[in-house]
Amino acid sequence: METLQKIIDIVAETLGIEKSGISGESSVGDFPEWDSMGHLSILNKVEEVFEISFDPEEMMELEDVNDIVKAVKAKQ
Amino acid sequence: MTIEECIYKNSLKFPQKPALICGNQTVTYSVFWQMISSYASDLNKLSECRKMIYQIYRTAQNIDFAVRYFAAHLAKIINVPVDNDISKERFEEIENELSASASSMCGEHSVADIMFTTGTTGRPKGVMLTHENLSAAAENINAFVSNTADDTELIALPLGHSFGLGRLRCVLSKGGTAVLANGFANIKKLFETIENQHCTGFALVPAAWNYIQRISGDKIAKFAGQLKYIEIGSSYMSETSKRKLMSLLPQTRICMHYGLTEASRSTFLSFSNDEKYLNSIGRESQNTEIKIFEDGEIGVKGPHVFYGYLNGEKAEFRDGFFLTGDCGKKDSDGYIYLTGRKKEIINVGGKKVSPFEVESVLNSYPDIKESCCVGVYDEVYGEVVKAYLVVNKTVDYKELRKFLNGKIETYKFPASFETVTNLPKTESGKLQRLKLK
Repeated sequence: METLQKIIDIVAETLGIEKSGISGESSVGDFPEWDSMGHLSILNKVEEVFEISFDPEEMMELEDVNDIVKAVKAKQ
Repeated sequence: MTIEECIYKNSLKFPQKPALICGNQTVTYSVFWQMISSYASDLNKLSECRKMIYQIYRTAQNIDFAVRYFAAHLAKIINVPVDNDISKERFEEIENELSASASSMCGEHSVADIMFTTGTTGRPKGVMLTHENLSAAAENINAFVSNTADDTELIALPLGHSFGLGRLRCVLSKGGTAVLANGFANIKKLFETIENQHCTGFALVPAAWNYIQRISGDKIAKFAGQLKYIEIGSSYMSETSKRKLMSLLPQTRICMHYGLTEASRSTFLSFSNDEKYLNSIGRESQNTEIKIFEDGEIGVKGPHVFYGYLNGEKAEFRDGFFLTGDCGKKDSDGYIYLTGRKKEIINVGGKKVSPFEVESVLNSYPDIKESCCVGVYDEVYGEVVKAYLVVNKTVDYKELRKFLNGKIETYKFPASFETVTNLPKTESGKLQRLKLK
């Protein structure tokens, strides 16, 4: 739950949108701000905050908030 | 022959062939032409009673947009397609420009589209393109890229921009199939579409390639036997990136163009045929003449060069050549190399940003006294905006970002900020942006 909240915070802050509109199912392309530039910024921020790194094989699978949460948990 | 005439011919030649695919929706050439004709007749009725000269609308990556766009041409109504993510303020500015200049749209040439680009002053600049311009450009591009009626192309580039919309016209005028996708953000979905729809070509900007690389590594190589061509354009691409793409897709004809909305695809480079000249922007496209003037500025002449700017702003021409604002040099084999830019435009992954526009929004933020924006190198986007700020008090960047939201499009947001005590200026007070680069 805590990881989910942290990821939602990162998505909201990076894209400059309200947290209330973001859920685990929110996915790349759902908001105009969540474009390729936004997606890359989110993933960079997640890597920085959780001190982890994704390789390209993993990155391609990260389509929504839940995917990111799952990937972060697997690395902790 | 206009693009619409080509589509009509294709509807007779390949009635059952898919013209467009979008998600689960497929329309054949025959159905597509019926949809265009029927929409055009509705527009005709509407234009008779409302004296409609143009239609302005936000573009969408779907079949309805394609129908609306080509139907307008058929009904002799000028299209003003604008990007879907354009801010409300920008949309209103464009509407005002249009209503103020409606009379200049009806010249002796028939204007087909007005594409708005970013002028150096930050004011939207309406580029008027005639039917002849559009056909000439499509003919030049198809001749170089070599796409045929047998090709299926993935169009993920925004249709509100000259490059993406140009690809749609190229594919449909040839009788190929266009598969519409909503941007490059979801690479997994994009690769699934290439696979499931058996796409044989696609177009992208260098920033999209950098993004694909970052997100999916070398996975694009699995399409090496499937992709026949790729067209790249709109901004700088390093030789290393070009060679990487060539190594992953050795059988694909990878073409890169140089052009502007005013003079679409004026040069072309084929990565494999012109391997010795990968640092250049290639040679003149067919039916195009390029001249480098004494001061280094690149001039372009040809039937694809636009008709004029909407607001009466005079386009710069010298000896019949449109002056691009870019500087370059030509080698003895005719290859052209870009050496600099005369205009202070920032190119964020192919999208043009005026520093003036970003600065004026930043300057309206209470904690900022004045600002200066420049383009700085970025490994994914080629260039991003950096803002130098003179502040009244410490700026909370989170709050500033919220402030910018909706006022300017997100790609125009400064990627980094630096606080300075003063900005470099000339004696007359003009900002000296180059000193900050």
